[in-house]
Amino acid sequence: MAGVNLTGIVKRYGALQVVHGIDLDVAEKEFVVLVGPSGCGKSTTLRMIAGLEEITQGDLEIDGRRMNRVAPKDRDVAMVFQNYALYPHLNVADNMAFGLRIRRMPRDQIATTIAETAEILGLTEYLERRPADLSGGQRQRVAMGRAIVRHPKVFLFDEPLSNLDAKLRTQMRAEIKRLHNRLGVTSVYVTHDQVEAMTLADRIVVMNDGRIEQVGTPMELFNNPANTFVAGFLGSPPMNQMKGQLTETGAQIGEAEIKLAGAINGLAGRDVVIGIRPEHVTLRPGEQTTALPIALDLVEPLGSEALLHGRFGEDEVVFKADTHGDIAHLQGVTAVHVPASLVKIFDADTGRALQLEQ
Amino acid sequence: MVDRTPDVGGKPIKEVVVEVNETFSDRDTSYSADSKWARMVDHFKREWQLYAMLAPTIIWFVVFLYKPMYGLQIAFKDYSIFRGVAGSPWVGFEHFEVLFANDQFLRAVSNTIKISALNLLFGFPAPIILALMFNEILHASYKKTAQTIVYLPHFISSVIIAGIVITAFAPTGGIVNIILGWFGIDSIYFLTRPEWFRPIFVGTGIWQEAGFGSIVFLAAIAGVNPSLYESAVVDGANRWQMMWKITIPSILPTILIMLIIRIGNIMEVSFELVILLYQPATYETADVVNTWIYRQGLQSGQYDLAAAAGLFNAVVAFVLVMTANSLSRRYSRTSLW
Repeated sequence: MAGVNLTGIVKRYGALQVVHGIDLDVAEKEFVVLVGPSGCGKSTTLRMIAGLEEITQGDLEIDGRRMNRVAPKDRDVAMVFQNYALYPHLNVADNMAFGLRIRRMPRDQIATTIAETAEILGLTEYLERRPADLSGGQRQRVAMGRAIVRHPKVFLFDEPLSNLDAKLRTQMRAEIKRLHNRLGVTSVYVTHDQVEAMTLADRIVVMNDGRIEQVGTPMELFNNPANTFVAGFLGSPPMNQMKGQLTETGAQIGEAEIKLAGAINGLAGRDVVIGIRPEHVTLRPGEQTTALPIALDLVEPLGSEALLHGRFGEDEVVFKADTHGDIAHLQGVTAVHVPASLVKIFDADTGRALQLEQ
Repeated sequence: MVDRTPDVGGKPIKEVVVEVNETFSDRDTSYSADSKWARMVDHFKREWQLYAMLAPTIIWFVVFLYKPMYGLQIAFKDYSIFRGVAGSPWVGFEHFEVLFANDQFLRAVSNTIKISALNLLFGFPAPIILALMFNEILHASYKKTAQTIVYLPHFISSVIIAGIVITAFAPTGGIVNIILGWFGIDSIYFLTRPEWFRPIFVGTGIWQEAGFGSIVFLAAIAGVNPSLYESAVVDGANRWQMMWKITIPSILPTILIMLIIRIGNIMEVSFELVILLYQPATYETADVVNTWIYRQGLQSGQYDLAAAAGLFNAVVAFVLVMTANSLSRRYSRTSLW
């Protein structure tokens, strides 16, 4: 097993710079997810780790060895591609054996490795089938099998679940997580799906426009987003962000003044963005809560919860509320109650989170 | 099976279902009869541009391939241009008997098969190899230049191609003999030597068509999923291994389709080029069925005999293409139809 260290990684295509100096240390056995919107440079970063893209500047180390000029085959990494990249003319067993044959592993050893891996992935009965005769989930398993049989130091996943339907994606997500727990191989996983990132990652790296916005555990990022981008990217629906101003006693948004848990300490009058997670509000007042009047225009039932869509001043807001089996009582909601301790404050100019003194 | 037929108001569900089906099927028949015609009219109204584009091809097929089939009957008649096709008397398989007793025709059949076999052996792989080589060129402008150069001969008329070949292989002043002279080899009059005709003919064909023929294989290669190569790179494959283990297997269906088409044309050796390059001295190896038909049919006026030879050619090609197609379908799941 090995760690992966990226130091000042830059990628340029001619004059166009797509990755702007990334620093990231992935620990041994860690499962790190790079997440961000399309074009944020996450796949390019992964491809640089794999050796499929040249690193313009910076250092890449795997297991303590500088890899910038090392051929992909010698980096001891295995990659699972978005579209599976299965050889259509080979059956499942031959697909999985491809890399081993290239590396001239003895035949009996290949057969044993394939059998063991197929067993782990539940592919034993499909070994003779060609990819065209498999379902999406089975193909994805074969793609993972092909990576596993190599026993690499690092697994690289490039949006491996994006071609699957929602149900299968949930299933495969759990399988990947179980597999990682079982094999304990250092893994770097790229996705644009924040749910995948939250559920799979030991640590999430949120990327935007070729830069890292924040690195942390899923709950760290969820609870303490470093800036408005991370706050808006993680969470479904995302955090409500409303423009306001700090006052001596809290934060003013339009007509409402929201209580805050920390001391303002000379920041009064500063323009800020007030962030409230949809699931952090209640419908009944409590201690240290502020009532936020909303003009409700839509209630979307999700089962045990419902989404309350409405407006607060000029801002569109979405909050979550328990249905208790019925949404009738939600139709008349005119205000939600915001707990002071869960309100997030960001600088209006830089978007960075402001830490209030406790 | 357990009969699970619950009652609905005292009436079993099965019966209800049957009644509903009958009602639907009655309505369906009348509905589908009307709508089939209406749908066709709608379809033509909507897609008439596509049919307009298809029309020239259909007209070409009818005029040049289907209408002439009417004339095929002269292969079984004692044809006279004065009595016409319909008025000429039937003679059964007489012309075929004459054909198979004719040494020159049998020689032409043998030459056709030999030249086609050489073409298949060397001419068929040439564009594939060329396409694979082009695929390995990474420098874009170098690749485009190389492609243009090898495509060019296809656009040159066969007359000019033959002129170039005749000049190149001329006993005096021909580039080939000049080069041979550098090594002290006496001048050879290639185009009068029967043993040289086939290599020159097949080589010329490759030079003229391999480049252009590579386009279809290049297109097939362009369709190969790039992540297959990336995956192979990560697995440790080199370019040679990627070519053998990914590119060639991926374009195999295209190769097989082109092979089937080629086998269908096995009796159609490039007539123009043979006519332009051969001479009586090389008939022994150069005379093919089509040139024999040309001489018998047009030059000697034996249209019925020439038609019989043409029909023989067509039947052989038909049998070959059917066989190749069914073999390909059986063993590789790839076929023309």
